[in-house]
Amino acid sequence: MPRTPHASPQTLRLFEALMKDPSTWRYGYDLSRETGLASGTLYPILMRLTEQALLEAGWEPSDQPGRPPRHTYRLTGDGIALAKVRIADAMARSSAKRAAGVSIVRPA
Amino acid sequence: MRRTAYRVLLLAVRGRRERGGPWGEAVLAEFDHVTSTGAALRWASGGLRVAFRERYSSHPARYRLAAMALATLAAVPFLVTVHYVPSHGMEPTIAVTSRHVLDQVAFRVTGIDHGDIVAFPVPDGPDDFQTLRRVIGLPGDRIECSEGRVLRDGAALDEPYLPSDAQVIGTECAAVTVPDGAIYVLGDNRDVAQDSRHWGVISENKVTGRVIV
Repeated sequence: MPRTPHASPQTLRLFEALMKDPSTWRYGYDLSRETGLASGTLYPILMRLTEQALLEAGWEPSDQPGRPPRHTYRLTGDGIALAKVRIADAMARSSAKRAAGVSIVRPA
Repeated sequence: MRRTAYRVLLLAVRGRRERGGPWGEAVLAEFDHVTSTGAALRWASGGLRVAFRERYSSHPARYRLAAMALATLAAVPFLVTVHYVPSHGMEPTIAVTSRHVLDQVAFRVTGIDHGDIVAFPVPDGPDDFQTLRRVIGLPGDRIECSEGRVLRDGAALDEPYLPSDAQVIGTECAAVTVPDGAIYVLGDNRDVAQDSRHWGVISENKVTGRVIV
């Protein structure tokens, strides 16, 4: 069976963070702190999502002068639709598991 | 510490260029906002991964080649080794003090064949004292000597690799049938070599390698 794309627990955590307010532009470091994902995990996901036009990225001049512009991200329309599907799937799966008497422990 | 991490990340992202790829630059730009030193180190180490990935996707063939070369370099010491020859036992085929490359893995897959030159620890010596001998008999073979020639299952072997004097003097041995899991080995220099004529058969799992060159 082929693997479902963008369904890993890490991608899911990113989706949840981005879906809190889909219209705002988010910084990479803030997303990293919110999801608990290391930069080496987070950015490859962001790269993949951007390549497939699920995420849009932009540059925003820094608020302090002399600092480099920051890269910002938000989900595209397609991205929002996919994130909703993936989050719903994950919730359905976890409730099915709970019904089957298996407790899942999610790493902090 | 923080400065060093930043420098390393900068080097990985930009190299000698004025500006790196957008994703590497994105990680760099966030670096200033990372609060603690520990977090900054983690951020930079993840950033190395990002920079590598970004470069990899622009030149996949080059990186795949480099990865393959690296994997080969790492595997070679397990696959082959160099054996220094300390004895005259295999002359003239293998000169004393010469060095030979031994395959340590492939022979376990393909099996040992008649005529192969294999390495194993000398039965009456220390474990790390290895020697090379030619495989004459495999499990099931009946090895005997008659009129100076070695017979395998009753047929005399053609042994062009023997030194000329040994061809004249000949080989003497006690008849033996090689049991399962063992091999019968002889040195090419029959006059001086210690081999299965003295040690008896060698256990197959004692063999550590087979001469390639």
